[in-house]
Amino acid sequence: MSEPTAAIEPIASVQPKKIRWLKNKKLDQYLVFWVVPVFFQVFGLVFVPLTWMMPPMSPDKPLADIVTFMQTSPLELALSLYILVSGLGAVVTVGAYWLVLARMAVSPAIKYAFLAGQVIGSVVGALLPVSLFGLAGFRSGYDPETLAMFYDFAYLAYNGSLGCFCLPWLALSLAIILDKNRILPKWLGYYTAWQYVTELFAASVWLTTAQPFGWNGYLAFYFNMLLYVPWQIIIFFQIYKALKNQPEDELDNVRLERSLPSYQAVPAYS
Amino acid sequence: MWPPLSPQMTPEDVAAFYREHHSAMLGVVVICNILGTVLVPIFATIAVQMMRIVNSSKVFAVTYIAAIAMGATAFIIADYCWGVALFRPDRNPQLISLLNDLGWIFFIAPVGPLIAMNLCLAGAIYLDARPDPVFPRWVAHFNVVTAVLSVPAAFAITTKTGPLAWDGSLSFTLRLTTLAVYVGVMFIVLLGVISRQGDEAVEMPA
Repeated sequence: MSEPTAAIEPIASVQPKKIRWLKNKKLDQYLVFWVVPVFFQVFGLVFVPLTWMMPPMSPDKPLADIVTFMQTSPLELALSLYILVSGLGAVVTVGAYWLVLARMAVSPAIKYAFLAGQVIGSVVGALLPVSLFGLAGFRSGYDPETLAMFYDFAYLAYNGSLGCFCLPWLALSLAIILDKNRILPKWLGYYTAWQYVTELFAASVWLTTAQPFGWNGYLAFYFNMLLYVPWQIIIFFQIYKALKNQPEDELDNVRLERSLPSYQAVPAYS
Repeated sequence: MWPPLSPQMTPEDVAAFYREHHSAMLGVVVICNILGTVLVPIFATIAVQMMRIVNSSKVFAVTYIAAIAMGATAFIIADYCWGVALFRPDRNPQLISLLNDLGWIFFIAPVGPLIAMNLCLAGAIYLDARPDPVFPRWVAHFNVVTAVLSVPAAFAITTKTGPLAWDGSLSFTLRLTTLAVYVGVMFIVLLGVISRQGDEAVEMPA
């Protein structure tokens, strides 16, 4: 096939790169998707090098160490950073998955169950523990026993939020497996079912502080991470792939544009 | 509740304040418990109108709905903290003070969901492909400005004095004024949007 001549070169290709990016028909979806890496950068930064909340500290830490940890001042600044981006959590935990869920041929009940579970999980599993850590560091002079109680409360809410994540992982897993449109590969649905299982493994954090079942336990935490981290990376890559491969005629804005009287079909080679 | 309790008050002062204003504060807490979600319908109406905006998908509107739920829950948790403190005003002042701190932290700091809502709405409006857009374009700029003005409040847990403190000019006055103005302006905007609904020249193809 011969190359199009310069005279009929598509307009898009002569536009500066920046503008072409802005003209992308799926820009809304890409914007939501790219919040994911941004959010996880901040999330990782806050929970690991800034606060050392993760990997989780021992549930059997001596009282004096708990007080020292919870009253360090950089903790407050880091937690503020999280509170600031916590709304992006809604974009990541709901919006990013919705990019594929919306296109799946399954009952809306499954999709809305996913949405509800993720919202509840974001509040009790992230915003609540962060605020409790923030509270403990806010004022000095509180009784160490009370601070230790908030240390437990925050870690248990963070690592032990079970059912509110069972719900979305089950819903997502079912959606992927039952989806007639095959937006995501079926094997990923079975892998997602294992995220449900990790929540069951984590149940033991409420029962004991001892290894391997405590909130920093090899089974209750590290084994789960082994299952969770690769899954999280894989599913976001798969979502990106699905988004990239979404045919143009599925896009609302393209369909509207084509229905307008002023619309003229662009030659096929553009 | 107004003016806000200073974060510099000692636990004893806080406990004394709670005992002194017990009935009035309890009344406010119960009313807030009942009316805590009273702003949700206006945000839900915005979400419904966002569903009419034509982007490539409805992802901004769905994310907006998720963020509404997160924001409303944070407010209810704040209300419960004050309520629990008032439930037994003779409790150890340290515990009253802790609940008071937590209540204020949950009331002032969690601006994240609201910022996400503002940015989702702004994004949806900027990318609206309709020849006659659902929302006027200035509403998008207005939402971006609202998001920016809400940012300082997130840092209310870092300090007990100055403009960033929960009773400060940025975290308290600016944040709540911004919210009040925002709700007022969006109310009027929605009236216009709803009255125009149905008169569109172009209908979305099924």
